[in-house]
Amino acid sequence: MFSNSMADPRRQNKILRYKPPSTDTNPTLEDPTPDYMNLLGMIFSMCGLMLKLTEKLVFQLKWCAWIAVYCSFISFANSRSSEDTKQMMSSFM
Amino acid sequence: PAGIHAFYSQQMLLLPFMLLLLASPMTWGRYDDFDDGEDLAEFDDNDFAEFEDLSEDAGMEPEATASPRVAAAPASDQDDDDDEAVVEIEDAQDDFEDTETPDEDIKYDTEEFEGFEKSSPSFKDPINIITVPSHLQNSWESYYMEILMVTGLLAYIMNYIIGKNKNHRLAQAWFSSHRELLESNFALVGDDGTSKEAVSTGKLNQENEHIYNLWCSGRVCCEGMLIQLKFLKRQDLLNVLARMMRPVCDQVQIKVTLNDEDMDTFVFAVGSRKAMARLQKEMQDLSEFCSDKPKSGAKYSLPEFMAILSEMGEVTDGMMDSKMVHYLINHADKIESIHFSDQFSGPKLMQEEGQPLKLPETKKTLLFTFNVPGMGNTSPKDMDALLPLMNMVIYSIDKVKKFRLNREVSGVSSTHAIVLIGCRVFGASLYVSLGASVELQKADKNRARVEENFLKQTHAQRQEEAAQRREQKKLEKKQMKMKQIKVKAM
Repeated sequence: MFSNSMADPRRQNKILRYKPPSTDTNPTLEDPTPDYMNLLGMIFSMCGLMLKLTEKLVFQLKWCAWIAVYCSFISFANSRSSEDTKQMMSSFM
Repeated sequence: PAGIHAFYSQQMLLLPFMLLLLASPMTWGRYDDFDDGEDLAEFDDNDFAEFEDLSEDAGMEPEATASPRVAAAPASDQDDDDDEAVVEIEDAQDDFEDTETPDEDIKYDTEEFEGFEKSSPSFKDPINIITVPSHLQNSWESYYMEILMVTGLLAYIMNYIIGKNKNHRLAQAWFSSHRELLESNFALVGDDGTSKEAVSTGKLNQENEHIYNLWCSGRVCCEGMLIQLKFLKRQDLLNVLARMMRPVCDQVQIKVTLNDEDMDTFVFAVGSRKAMARLQKEMQDLSEFCSDKPKSGAKYSLPEFMAILSEMGEVTDGMMDSKMVHYLINHADKIESIHFSDQFSGPKLMQEEGQPLKLPETKKTLLFTFNVPGMGNTSPKDMDALLPLMNMVIYSIDKVKKFRLNREVSGVSSTHAIVLIGCRVFGASLYVSLGASVELQKADKNRARVEENFLKQTHAQRQEEAAQRREQKKLEKKQMKMKQIKVKAM
């Protein structure tokens, strides 16, 4: 049966199109990092805003703001391709 | 006298200057002026003692209290003339410490100065220089935090760019070394699913900065092959730092999906012991069909750290032919896991409330997970080392197509058959078994058993659901009847 190895295994008629795997079927395989980072970033920026309103802890306000910026950068670096650029720009803000 | 007059005139010139300085925050210059006066203050002449006293005062007071002093200076000049001025001095001198020290009255003739409560501070007091608060300073030091943070951000961005480029280069290196093999085996190499025509794109799909995939299709014995290059997150600095503690590999994951006729019914896995233990716990099919613990592959001369999970001994013998064993031994360090299954449905789903009502959909699949050599510090050249593994994949596809389980029918009454019918109709499951004299293949038995177990487990739940549906139908019927009655009445 050596003819098998000589024959071309390719078959034009057996082509199947690529279907991106849907995330509904396997949510556990998705990396939650960008979502967590987004959330943290928003929390810290809210903290920063609230501290600014109270005007008591200037130093802590600075830390909050910088941590929020870092969180948004980390979220961007880990982001999945399916996410909008618009969403990421708004998270940077 | 000439010197004294000169001194006197100099002091007079200084007075308006001192007045001007009342409004100015810069006080350093004042001290310099008074230094000149200090040399001349050694005169014992009491008439001018006030000036030397003033110079001492001004030289020693902190700037915060300098303005009251300056107010005192012109006021004390007019001391003899004006009583009101004296009040000022008194007020100003409330801030003084150590106001009445007899030793310091030497230079003053108290009769001449009525009400002049001289209160000079002790000459021994150290000069109290208050520093300007940091938030009013205009130096770099006050911004050290901002500088630190911006430096950190710049470092992160640099790492992002470098990591992204490295991953991209690794992916391209992999593809260029495997391209020829893939193109000779598949009609379609590279597809993103968006184009109308099924034409090879001839390039990888970039999912994100560390995952690339490639879809190949159009071959005998399989539906298609999805290759995923799962690189490390070199673009995320946090990840890079975490990997310094715990080294991890880049991975290449290959998933070959097969048609029904391409594979017989069996479940088999081989790989590192750790991976086998993990897969047995995680994967639905492995946990159901391969209940035994991972076995050693010593029988086939596999390295000690490798293990086998198999549904039956026959499957292991069938899969581990000499060529396969050869591949496994030579590339054992690069093989994380190999998993062949006709009942593949992915990892076990988390049970929500109660059990899932339907058996998960299964697909005949071959899965390969390979570790890229280098343990994170890979270079594009390392990608060539994975080429023999791709050969193994192709070989496996052909082999699985040819492999058939032994289905010899034993016993006299071969015409009879055990027929198992499992109906996945809500509320009903029928099992009809006719005759019992023919032994069906163990593999088929296994599958029937799994399905039966599942149906039993969900029996109670399905009964409930069925009851609910019946009630619903009754309600609907009632409603229809009511409507009909109404219509008739009208």
